[in-house]
Amino acid sequence: MSKTALAARQLNKTFGEGATEVHAVRGVDLEVNTGEVVLIMGPSGSGKTTLLSMLGAMLRPTSGEIVVDGDNITAIPESRLPKLRATTFGFVFQDFNLLGALTALENVEFALNLGGVTGRHARERAEELLTRLGLAERLSFRPDQLSGGEKQRVAIARALANQPPVILADEPTANLDSKIGHEIARLLRRIATEDKRAVVMVSHDIRLKDVADRILWLEDGAFRELHNMATDPICGMSVDPQSAPHLQIDGEIVYFCSTACRDEYATAESDGRHTAPLMHTEDGSGDR
Amino acid sequence: MVPVARRMLFTDRRRALLGVAGVAIALVMALTLDGIFAGTTRQVSRYIDTSPADVFVSQEGVRTIHMATSVVPLAVTDQIRQLPGVSWVEAILFSSDALRVPAGRRPSYVIGYPPGGRGGPQTLVEGREPATGEIVVDDSAAKALDIALGDEVEVMGRRWRVSGLTTGMTSIVNTSVYVTFDDLAALLGLPNTASYLLIGSSGDPESVAESIEAAVSGVSTQTRQRFSAEERAVVREMSTDLLNIMAIAAFLVGLAVIGLVLYAAVLSRLRDIGVMKALGLGRLGVSRLVLIQAMWTVVTALALAVAVTFSIGAIVAALAPDIDVVVEATSLLRAGTGGVLVAGVGVVIPLIKVWRVDPATVFRRTS
Repeated sequence: MSKTALAARQLNKTFGEGATEVHAVRGVDLEVNTGEVVLIMGPSGSGKTTLLSMLGAMLRPTSGEIVVDGDNITAIPESRLPKLRATTFGFVFQDFNLLGALTALENVEFALNLGGVTGRHARERAEELLTRLGLAERLSFRPDQLSGGEKQRVAIARALANQPPVILADEPTANLDSKIGHEIARLLRRIATEDKRAVVMVSHDIRLKDVADRILWLEDGAFRELHNMATDPICGMSVDPQSAPHLQIDGEIVYFCSTACRDEYATAESDGRHTAPLMHTEDGSGDR
Repeated sequence: MVPVARRMLFTDRRRALLGVAGVAIALVMALTLDGIFAGTTRQVSRYIDTSPADVFVSQEGVRTIHMATSVVPLAVTDQIRQLPGVSWVEAILFSSDALRVPAGRRPSYVIGYPPGGRGGPQTLVEGREPATGEIVVDDSAAKALDIALGDEVEVMGRRWRVSGLTTGMTSIVNTSVYVTFDDLAALLGLPNTASYLLIGSSGDPESVAESIEAAVSGVSTQTRQRFSAEERAVVREMSTDLLNIMAIAAFLVGLAVIGLVLYAAVLSRLRDIGVMKALGLGRLGVSRLVLIQAMWTVVTALALAVAVTFSIGAIVAALAPDIDVVVEATSLLRAGTGGVLVAGVGVVIPLIKVWRVDPATVFRRTS
């Protein structure tokens, strides 16, 4: 039976004050169970990164609480946060963020060192993780000698090093081609299921919907109901009809994520060009 | 533990090399100046160091040859000769002037000694000991001033014929010339006196020195080693301010270089530091990272600086025999301590920079 690995309650984050005050995250409630993959989507500037930073104990919320494995991490003193990050969270980034001076093996070993595992144990565990992710032949390679997919697998191995209950992934497929991106997505899915990790992904990549148990839409710092969302026919992104740029074509209103997509669509229509058909899915998302 | 600090420092080899070279240059500057100074002070005391005398007798209270005037009555030599443990006594006269020839001049110690005695040049590479009106000069000074055997030179206002060449008695500061005791006594107008008495001992030099001082009034005695150390000390004391200025200059250059090197290293790795903080490296960890990098830079630079300084010493010895570069253990210790101090101060700004790195920067895109 799955249990709650990560819970955020009434999470708020405000930057600045007075005239420059910005509410980046407002009243977010979130529960993620072990073995579950949650995908958080939303337009740029919607507060996804701020939310992820708070969930990963890198940014203090203005109010609300975050509970990981029963511990309220918002109440933990600043000095204990690094150790908490090392042992409680695994991070996967869009830019991979591997340490360029270290080999693949050392990148994973370094994360283990931060978690308190050193020496032979760290080396063996790092080897084991990288081998499991198909990188047995790349242990001594530096990041600049690895392909994008390999780098991301090293990053995933690093994220798993200290067996954290929660994996936080920021655009994990954005810098990868579609095939490799799909492999990475499936890998994260497998890790959640087999290793019983809670995986929270923030992404614009609609392909990740395939591996997610739940998809949440964040806009203006708050979650929106996804079934009320429309789909941008250009990029396939879910958009909120209440605030999205739109066009009326043959009596039908078409919504877009941005004016750029709207203009592209309008130009194609006026040129009589055929826009690629959109395969609508049940929840309103689509794929070309 | 993964040696992440060292890896980060040396992965960019060009940057690391520039940093190490920068600090090494400052240390080479300090070590070489120190080495030249140490070499010079050794050369200054070479007459004493190469003397066969075990004990030196001077006027009471006089502890050096340099920057001192000593007058000892010749009458005490017989008294000293009778003391137990004294195997021989020889008087020398000492003055200082310049060795002058048409080609130039060189500041010089002038030593008067009885020819055939032990107070004269320990080595003669050419010619013979001086007779009346003759002088022995050092081969290095002779070469520099284009002096040959049989040439006439001027010292203390009179002309001398060069009868011989000795060696090893010229330093960056001065040279030494040797004339007969009687010639110098006549020039100085000091009959029946010596500047110093050289004593050969058949027993413990310390005991001999003590027994002379106890038996003869108005004199001070020192063993050769003690006399030599005093001689070097007085030269060193005269140069303390200069040395301090050199040390401060080297310190400031080193400080600026290491500060810049570490700051540049930190700036180039800010994202990596952000990643490490995001992964769980705390304030102590990042501080240690920067300090280890500073230590590696200084230790590598010190090793390089020592090697370069020894090489400079060898090159200088080949090109300018008058200049002796001596790297002493105290010099290394001072450079090492200075380097550590410089590293300690130089890391302050980089440390503040890394402490302020926000781990959440990892979510910012690099492109």
